[in-house]
Amino acid sequence: MSRLVLFYRLIVRPLFREPLRTGLTVLAVALGVAVVLAIDLAGNAAAGSFRSSVETLMGDSDLEVTSTGGLPDGIVGTLATLPYPIRVRPRLQDFVTVEPSGQTVPLIGLDLIGEATDQIVTSVSSGYEEELKNPNDLEGVWAGSSLKVKAGSTIRLLMNDHTREYPVRGVFDDAAEGGGIVVMDIAAAQRELGREGRVDSVLLKVPDKPALGEWQKRLQAALPAGVLTRPVGSRTAENQRMLAAFRWNLRVLSYVALLVGAFLIYNTISVSVVRRRAEIGIVRALGASRNEVLGAFLGEAAFFGVIGALLGCMLGRVIATGALKLLSATVQALYVSSRPGAIELTFTSLVIALLIGIGMSVIAALSPAREAGSVSPTEAMARGQREYATRMHKGRDMLIALGLAAGGVICSVPPAIAGKPLFGYLSAILLVAASALAIPAITDGLLKFSAHTLQQFTGVEGLLAARGLSGSLRRTSVLVAALSTAIAMMTAIGIMVGSFRQTVITWMDSQLQADLYLRPAGSPAADQHPTIPNDLADQIAHLSGVAALDRFRGYDISYEGLPATLGAADFHAVQPFRKSAFLSGRAANAVYRDLLGKDAVVISEPFANKHHLKRGDSITLPMGEARVQFRIVDISFDYASEAGYVVMDRATMLRYLPDPNPSDLAVYVAPGAGLETVRAEIQKAIAGHNILIFSNRSLRMEAIRTFDRTFVITYALEAISVVVAVIGIAGALLALVVDRRREFGLLRFLGAATSQIRKLILVEAGLIGLLANLVGFFLGLALSFILIYVINKQSFGWTIQFHWPTLILVSSLTGVFLATILAGLYPAQVAIRLNPIEVIHEE
Amino acid sequence: MNAARGPAPLDVTPAKRPIAILDNVSKEYRNEGVTVRAVDGVSLEIGAGSFVALVGRSGCGKSTLLNLAGAMDFPTSGEVRLDGVATSSLDDAGLTRLRREKVGFIFQSFQLLPTLTVIENVELPLLLAGEKNVRDGSMLRLEWVELDALAGRLPHQLSGGQMQRVAIARALVHEPKLLLADEPTGNLDTVTGDIILKLLRRIVSEQGTALLMATHSSEAAALSDLIVHMRDGRVSEIVKK
Repeated sequence: MSRLVLFYRLIVRPLFREPLRTGLTVLAVALGVAVVLAIDLAGNAAAGSFRSSVETLMGDSDLEVTSTGGLPDGIVGTLATLPYPIRVRPRLQDFVTVEPSGQTVPLIGLDLIGEATDQIVTSVSSGYEEELKNPNDLEGVWAGSSLKVKAGSTIRLLMNDHTREYPVRGVFDDAAEGGGIVVMDIAAAQRELGREGRVDSVLLKVPDKPALGEWQKRLQAALPAGVLTRPVGSRTAENQRMLAAFRWNLRVLSYVALLVGAFLIYNTISVSVVRRRAEIGIVRALGASRNEVLGAFLGEAAFFGVIGALLGCMLGRVIATGALKLLSATVQALYVSSRPGAIELTFTSLVIALLIGIGMSVIAALSPAREAGSVSPTEAMARGQREYATRMHKGRDMLIALGLAAGGVICSVPPAIAGKPLFGYLSAILLVAASALAIPAITDGLLKFSAHTLQQFTGVEGLLAARGLSGSLRRTSVLVAALSTAIAMMTAIGIMVGSFRQTVITWMDSQLQADLYLRPAGSPAADQHPTIPNDLADQIAHLSGVAALDRFRGYDISYEGLPATLGAADFHAVQPFRKSAFLSGRAANAVYRDLLGKDAVVISEPFANKHHLKRGDSITLPMGEARVQFRIVDISFDYASEAGYVVMDRATMLRYLPDPNPSDLAVYVAPGAGLETVRAEIQKAIAGHNILIFSNRSLRMEAIRTFDRTFVITYALEAISVVVAVIGIAGALLALVVDRRREFGLLRFLGAATSQIRKLILVEAGLIGLLANLVGFFLGLALSFILIYVINKQSFGWTIQFHWPTLILVSSLTGVFLATILAGLYPAQVAIRLNPIEVIHEE
Repeated sequence: MNAARGPAPLDVTPAKRPIAILDNVSKEYRNEGVTVRAVDGVSLEIGAGSFVALVGRSGCGKSTLLNLAGAMDFPTSGEVRLDGVATSSLDDAGLTRLRREKVGFIFQSFQLLPTLTVIENVELPLLLAGEKNVRDGSMLRLEWVELDALAGRLPHQLSGGQMQRVAIARALVHEPKLLLADEPTGNLDTVTGDIILKLLRRIVSEQGTALLMATHSSEAAALSDLIVHMRDGRVSEIVKK
């Protein structure tokens, strides 16, 4: 108890005498914890109910039977007549857009008659028995309660390319499913979706014995080779696997803010040790042990950690809401349609956040606390000494830094482990550690070298600022390390995203060569492929002014436990016009010739990397009821989807999947024909259909907008790291002013004007910003290579060409520099307000 | 002369016209609701080229009087004139200018900037005043205190006496008319302290700089032209040598 009292009086109470500085340190810890927690919560909400939206209303089914392009009705009969006590439930699943809200929700087609006693059906259509006496009553929809429509009203739904009004037969509670579902009778859904005679999947409920795996084998043996049987929830599991890399990278990014916070805690405790030098001597002389002194400073760090972590948990919960919106938009655009679940701040996540905040603070404080404990009482109480003569082993640390940097380079070489770029992360950590160790030598050297030059440009204040920072090298180095780490991350991500963006723009130049693009209206998600009637496509192809029409059809498939898109393009029609780029460097026409009508495919680079495939390999794909082997004729660059594409010639696909309706159309306008004229003709042809037309330019712009949106969360994380660092700089400068008050008082005695004192502090702040920018830029450049050539490549499989985003880099580095100077404004005011008489005569 | 309010009758000769006049000055501080009168109705004239010692126990107001004389602080009542200029008529910028031109300070704990070399410490007041080409003049000052050989050293590499000599060189570099020394030998041993005192005496005699020195030491006071005894913020006795 007495120890606690002493701890409060000697350690905690003094913190309240500097509320601003204490508050800034707590805020820095809080932001670091908040970001980590927010990304975790948002990631769990986005992925944990990642339930692919189409895995909705699955009930207690065990297995799902699917096939690319859907299953013929006959498969349902085959399964129903197997000599096994299994429950068979055919199902149609797609997406519809509710108008006018524009919300895209799953449409599930269920056999409402055949499954009348099924628990799902009963939950959906209460009171249906009476209604279903009249077959016309199957024409409507049943809406989930979250759509906020009433039974008896109507709802407008966009399906594929047409919008219709449907009577709402009933409303059911969809809360357990994550909200927003529309259910139709399966026959009505088949008709509305243009899939007469086909279902998307069949759900099976099997007995408990034998085991599920055995049932899977038995049933698979009874079905055609191209038809897959797998456990319910497989799609969700695939999505989660695919998203793992994305989540990991975000998580790692979120730790940057925490790392910056750790530097600042180190600095805060170091300052505390210096200031309490005399007290340390006194308490040691009075009988405190070294461990008790060590414990006191670790306790101070833990105090910041606890308060900061508690505040961070609250902030993190708030930030998580925004983070989830950004994450969901990215996932929807690049991966799968999904509905994020609720953000759950569980006891476990709270405890973990607290442990992270406290742990980080205590670990960061270990070194200065250990030093405090090791100082002898007489040395600590010696008058006239302003600071511990803490020797900085600059030379030794520089050598270690070089070793770590070499280690970082070496670690950039090994491949991913279980799809995660662990060596890439290690490489980045080693480089950051190398930079932190090298900073004292770099800072000292640069400050000494530039002191007189600074004096020439900025006056005596420049000399005093350089010498002042050099004189408290440990403190200066930690501040520079904190800010440079944040700047490095900002630079690395800026270069990576800028390079990626330019790569995508360059890729679009080769990939998007049509003049006009058409797709069904509705929100474009990576796994949704609504179709356009093929006869409408024929009509467009025969319009005057249309030189060629590419009909692209996409299907979602699963390959080796990961989702992908199977596509087909009309290479015969567009061979003269389309000039995609391939990894082999071969001319596009040569590749197209290899595809035309053959069992051959081109795969995208991400697909090739994920599945370790190369040109010349073969892959077997489920095509309808068959499993077909395709030869890989080349690998294409592709940035539209991380999941990857497998693309064949349209004629090949139609051999196995006879549905001719395309998902997208690309129109090549004949030379000499007016683009707007052709567009107007197409507009007439598609009147009455809900189809969007994009010009080449507007499609590219939309693609870039989607691209930019996906990185908003990344930018937000960077910005928070920089804010944490600048907050830390402000707090540290404030501490610096207080600790050097005698120096400022002396300068006033020697004739310094208040404006000169202000200038001195601002020049110091500017020097810290400049040093941090310099170190941060070069560290960031090195990290950008790791991000582009190692982490991105191993996580997602994309090749990114290095580009300098000069404008973004210059503006963001300048912005941080100015922010650092601004951070010095308040400390400068404090310095000016010091009473020189009081501070000089303090002793 | 006894402790009384009102100007002290000093000999003011043209050769020793007053560089600083404190006319019935008082200084009060408020500390948590309690008013402390650090200086109470002191009148004093310091002639050019005179050596005045302020003697008294700790807390008698010596340092406060030095700060008032050096235009570092304003009196609560009364007037301070420094080289004919009333300090109360100046704003902060004006006081700063006055200090730069007229006053030099010497402190008990030397107060050298640890990150500047010896010569950089000496030239600091000139640099703060915005002057250029200050090196030569500063070196001359260092030579005068016989420390030119140590110009490139840092303060922690010097002895106490050497540091105080550097501080003296710094205080003189801008040729002030008034030197204010607050216990200049307080942190020094006797021998070193004597050296410093003799140096200060030389400054007054050779350069005609007025010196107002606060001290506990009777030996230090013995070197002065005028000893002003202070007690509880008031002048209790003035002894003219």
